[in-house]
Amino acid sequence: MVQYKPNRLETTKLIGPMVDKHWAELRTAKERGEKVAWCSGPMFIFPYAMGMKCHFMAGYAAYCAGRGAGDQVLEIAEAEGDLIDSCSYHKLHMGMAAAVKKGIPIKEEVMLPLPDLMITGRLCPEMSHYAEGMYRRMNIRVAGVDTPPPAREEDIPAFEEFCERQIREDLIPTLEEVCGKPFDYDKLSEMLAILKKTASLRNECWEYTKHRPSPWTLWDYGVSIAPVFYLMGKPETIPYYEKLKAELAYRVENNIGAISPEEKYRIYWDGWLPWGFLGKFSRKFTNLGMVPIVGRYPWEFFPHPETIEPEPDPVKTFVKQVYSNGGLARQNLPNLALPQIHQWIDEYKIDGLVMFSSKTCRMWNLGHPDVINAVEKKNGIPGVVIEGDMVDSRMISDAQIDTRLGALMEMMEARKSRRA
Amino acid sequence: MADQLNKCIQITGDPYGYLAEWKKQNNKKIICCYPMHVPEELVHAAGMLPVVAWRSNEPVTLGHSHIPPYNCGLTRSFIDDLLKDKLNFFDGVVIYRMCLQAQGLPFIIGQNVNLPYLEYLSLPAIYPGLPTRDFLIKELERFKASLEEFSGRKITAEALNQSIAVYNKNRQLLSKIYEIRRQKPGAVKARELMAIVQSSMLMPKEENNQLLEELISELEKREPASQPKIRVIVYGGLCQTPHLDILDLIEELGMEVVDDDLYVGSRYFAGDVQITEKPVEALAERYLAHTPPCPTKGDYATDWTDYIIEMADKNQAQGIISLLIKFCPPHLCYYPDIKNKLAERGIPEVLIEVEHEVISLGQARTRLQTFAEIIGGV
Repeated sequence: MVQYKPNRLETTKLIGPMVDKHWAELRTAKERGEKVAWCSGPMFIFPYAMGMKCHFMAGYAAYCAGRGAGDQVLEIAEAEGDLIDSCSYHKLHMGMAAAVKKGIPIKEEVMLPLPDLMITGRLCPEMSHYAEGMYRRMNIRVAGVDTPPPAREEDIPAFEEFCERQIREDLIPTLEEVCGKPFDYDKLSEMLAILKKTASLRNECWEYTKHRPSPWTLWDYGVSIAPVFYLMGKPETIPYYEKLKAELAYRVENNIGAISPEEKYRIYWDGWLPWGFLGKFSRKFTNLGMVPIVGRYPWEFFPHPETIEPEPDPVKTFVKQVYSNGGLARQNLPNLALPQIHQWIDEYKIDGLVMFSSKTCRMWNLGHPDVINAVEKKNGIPGVVIEGDMVDSRMISDAQIDTRLGALMEMMEARKSRRA
Repeated sequence: MADQLNKCIQITGDPYGYLAEWKKQNNKKIICCYPMHVPEELVHAAGMLPVVAWRSNEPVTLGHSHIPPYNCGLTRSFIDDLLKDKLNFFDGVVIYRMCLQAQGLPFIIGQNVNLPYLEYLSLPAIYPGLPTRDFLIKELERFKASLEEFSGRKITAEALNQSIAVYNKNRQLLSKIYEIRRQKPGAVKARELMAIVQSSMLMPKEENNQLLEELISELEKREPASQPKIRVIVYGGLCQTPHLDILDLIEELGMEVVDDDLYVGSRYFAGDVQITEKPVEALAERYLAHTPPCPTKGDYATDWTDYIIEMADKNQAQGIISLLIKFCPPHLCYYPDIKNKLAERGIPEVLIEVEHEVISLGQARTRLQTFAEIIGGV
């Protein structure tokens, strides 16, 4: 039996310090008299432009789970009355806020200052439920921005107008009031210019993924997401992706894959990345020669940076990144995402699908079997659903993951034999 | 038992048979409106029969090939019923983004069922400010146009106001029945009341109005229960009919449901729509401001718990029963705040989680019996 092993990238080792710095600066913001916001969805760019320190909901969940504090914080939420079936991201925040308010000890690095403002980028309703909870429990001000995902292309202009008006008429005036100064449109443009550059480099890195063997995996991209999302607009994000691109280029030139001795199966991954369990999944995939290389969720983040126009209207261009030129809102529903998935499977020469069904996230657990069926019909490749959770270890079963991945491998092998 | 009440029980006991027969007799289109806030008046004004989706009483089988079991009973059983061809009398389905499960349904339906009409509405979170209001009105106008196209009938302001009037009357009649229960505790059983409200969700409103008027005359003749019981409020049960066994159990254990904040209950008919020259705007106004606090609407400024406490105070209730539909994220996320606020105020509360297939009545009995003993001082 072939023994596979990962070929770890050097550049991704640089991400830890960048991410730690971000959260450390946020943790200590109040000590420096800085204002703090908590934000879900992509709206954190607006408090950033005002010089506020801002958290990002899913980013915090990934960080907290990645630091091994997920279960501890979830337990606190459940002691406060939350039930096991609630969204883990929601519970994680309610647990952390309770810990901070009541002085319940948790890992210091995952503690955050309670915010001056909650911003709901309502890509899913749970993204506002936690803000509503913070308002009720701690009377923290809320700026609501609803960003409904469109089910039809023709919905998009009205949704963009709605999103833009909420930002201009509510979010920006609220930020001005909280910060006591006019909104900094120049800073917003400047950040978008950096994002454009960083995301363009990221897209060049994506191109290398089409090479066989792929020089990096979706797990590598997962740990590199922060520079194109919540580290958005920071100058150091550009050199990070320049280095990554150079390392990937070297690998492609020298035919070095993400795993050794050879990449056997190329996998499409659907759903959240399993933030608390990346190591576990990475090992299981590698052991079977599987390389996950593309996915709907990780591909949401500004997939068309060439359309970002930082000037003259940074608000408008940002909104278009959420809707018509982007993936954030439009890939949440499989209705609009399915044609893109079919295309990726051909472009990236995918052998099989893994649909990660998060038990507590109904955004990413409905529709998976139907996506598999549609892909099977059109692209002729198999898929499996793996049940789990992005944070809650009680919902992760090694035996189930192994069985499903084993079944997928056998199906892919059978298809390959038939084609040969 | 009154004939009218029997009719309600019969219809709600077999909505499939009732609607199939209704379609045969009337040869009209039936549009399924997914709970909880689709403005049915628009469907009615387009000359079609709006019907609110219900949870079946069968175990989900085919549906689990499309939706994992960790989703709510309504979502799973609705897909299951569609796949089993049990809902063939529907000419269309209207769903809106009430929760993530409702958000995911149109894709699954579209992939598996060939419906002549499938409409996905985006009713927004009710954040303050004009953008929300304007977006909602535009979305309702778009819905109106789509109904006109499907039905082939223009929805005039006059026709829509007529439909609104019919619906307002229905709301008032249902309110009147609730008032009878308040005045004469025990005169109407909780399961009877549920059948009455659900009959309104299934029948043409004009016919239901007539039925309710006759029923009111009958119910007014009833006497309250001779023995005073422990007065409780039941709240929750978002989107779907709770198991009737639970309601029976509550009463069996010496408690009386004096009022409720259930969807198949007072939430369905709370808040009239104004008759104005701009009826679409009036429908938007009801969604924005004239329904009970709803955890699906992103409404952080209004406290649902205060609404429940007010209902308990008004009815001199001794306790609150939280009826939480398993895997219902809006209620799940809100529940700790309700539980903790009620505890702070010294209002007794018990949580009963209800699931579609498996319901441990033994466990529910133990919890409810203990609750009754605590609040009743037995």
